[in-house]
Amino acid sequence: MDIKSFFIKRSVEIIVIFFIMMTILFLLFHFAPGDPVSMMVDPSMTSEDAQYMISQLGLDKPLLTQYLVYLKNFFQGNLGNSFYYGEPVIGIIGNRLPNTILLFTTSIIISAFAGVFLGKIAAWHKGEKIDTFGTIAALVCHTLFLPWTALIIIWVFGYKTGLFPLGGMLTPELWINPETNFLIKGIDIIYHMTLPLFTLCIIHFGSYMLIMRSSMLDVMGEDYILTAKAKGVSDKCICNHHIAPNASLPVVTSIGLSLAFSVNGGALTEIIFSWPGLGRELIFAVTNNDYPLALASFLFIAIVVLIANFIVDILYTYLDPRIKY
Amino acid sequence: MTKKNNNYLKDIMERLKSGMFFQYLVFLWKNPIGKCGVVLLILFGVMAVASFVPPLIDPMYHPMTGVDPDISNVTPPGFNHWLGTDYMGRDLFSQLLTGSRVAFLVGVSAAFMSMVFGTIIGMTAGYSGKILDTVLMRTADMIMIMPTLLVVLLLSSLFGQLSIWTIVLLIALFRWPGVARVIRSQTLALKERPFIDAARISGASSVRILFKHIAPNVLPMALLFMTFRVTSAIIIEAVLAFLGFGDPGTVSWGMMLQWVWKTGNMFQAPYWLFPPGICISLITLSFYMIGRAMEDMLDPRLRKEGIQD
Repeated sequence: MDIKSFFIKRSVEIIVIFFIMMTILFLLFHFAPGDPVSMMVDPSMTSEDAQYMISQLGLDKPLLTQYLVYLKNFFQGNLGNSFYYGEPVIGIIGNRLPNTILLFTTSIIISAFAGVFLGKIAAWHKGEKIDTFGTIAALVCHTLFLPWTALIIIWVFGYKTGLFPLGGMLTPELWINPETNFLIKGIDIIYHMTLPLFTLCIIHFGSYMLIMRSSMLDVMGEDYILTAKAKGVSDKCICNHHIAPNASLPVVTSIGLSLAFSVNGGALTEIIFSWPGLGRELIFAVTNNDYPLALASFLFIAIVVLIANFIVDILYTYLDPRIKY
Repeated sequence: MTKKNNNYLKDIMERLKSGMFFQYLVFLWKNPIGKCGVVLLILFGVMAVASFVPPLIDPMYHPMTGVDPDISNVTPPGFNHWLGTDYMGRDLFSQLLTGSRVAFLVGVSAAFMSMVFGTIIGMTAGYSGKILDTVLMRTADMIMIMPTLLVVLLLSSLFGQLSIWTIVLLIALFRWPGVARVIRSQTLALKERPFIDAARISGASSVRILFKHIAPNVLPMALLFMTFRVTSAIIIEAVLAFLGFGDPGTVSWGMMLQWVWKTGNMFQAPYWLFPPGICISLITLSFYMIGRAMEDMLDPRLRKEGIQD
């Protein structure tokens, strides 16, 4: 099987998984205690509006029709109105999704690169002080409790020293002012993103580093490394060009496996740093019993995870040409 | 190296099967990482046991309902309250001790349940093969890529307030796939062994073969993988409590963090903010270190499966 058919097979798989997920959610909403009408229709609506909503969502029809209407509505982008905001859910999602993707991808990329780099150093100096210290630090960072770490980071960098903002994504005065140019806006976002990003990287780099270290040690024992040494290749070149590329493959696999974990962490970070993303919206919606918004944010987070998984798979075939599907 | 590990593996399996947990602990003790983990765990065990003492001394030390009549606000550590009190005048030290008990309860029971689910499903998938295998393993893959925490949050919004046991059950329901995969691969190897053929020829039913012949052989491995599940269960419970979806009737470390966060005492009361977070991180670390020490003794190749939580 070549890469093209692999690509197609994976895409089909992802679509199937997504459909199964939507079906399970639909059934859950149906068989949860409390009737679906009260869950999908805003209790504060007038009765005519409520009737309109009910017919729009097909809630007065048989189960199968309801399911089809639900699917149709989803693909038409009609996800209902949020109870809390009183606006269409799709607009809120469209607003929050880019923020989540920004934080999520940057944190994964930075922590993966940091993990690979530090793991490489630790493995190269195996048994020395730097290795012992690095491994212990990675273990400790990996097991830190994320919400608490975030609170401590806010406490230290936001409150005690006042270097960074306590939360949010933008400085409102700066954005209202029409004279602010694009560059300053970008810097403002990066400034607000520093602390959440720092938190996520501290939590995530540890596992990547430990994986990189052990896989480096595996590769170092291979015959072709000995050959390279015998040829007289410099140590630095062996480390960077012969060992590290091969050793970083398990890291890519583990990124794929830990995506769900990263999404959980992302949602927590968003809520603690008031980062206006999907995870924060989901947790808010759950707190406020805002079912349409909760359902939609969950589905979109699931889409992000599925697509990220897909990208990691493709990346893997690109990085490791030995793989045949 | 590999041969040595295989010997280790066999050794451990023998010891576990013969119920010699003591010798197994000695084994763990010899590994420096394992030793650290065991020491930390014993410390938390002592805390959990000690949590029964303060309420006996004075009812005001009861972690949930005990209120110091002289105190009406957050107070720093003092002679009567070693770690200070919260905004209602409840003793933080006794809350911290109780948190350890809850963490053990949630962690171990959820891990045990997910181990049972994982073992049964993994064995069934590995032994039956064909369609059932595909279906079960695809389901496992699907659950694996779901963000557990967010799913449990969504469910809690649908089903209302969750009790501590519902949380445990939900964690177990979403945490079995990792165990199931390992057990399945073990079962696949075991299936080819002659003694299974012998059992089948002598007329044993599939269920009997699974539970009488395969289960005892995969059980040690399942028990070892339980340690990683303990870690993730404790974290999920703590996060749920932190976000305000925990059982309101229990005092856990996550709950303590929620109180300090929500009441806005975060910046004023570091003696309230630090202890619960340090405890959660350390108990996670201790289980994680024990798990890693076990993996070092077992096959290092298994590391890739167990690390993701």
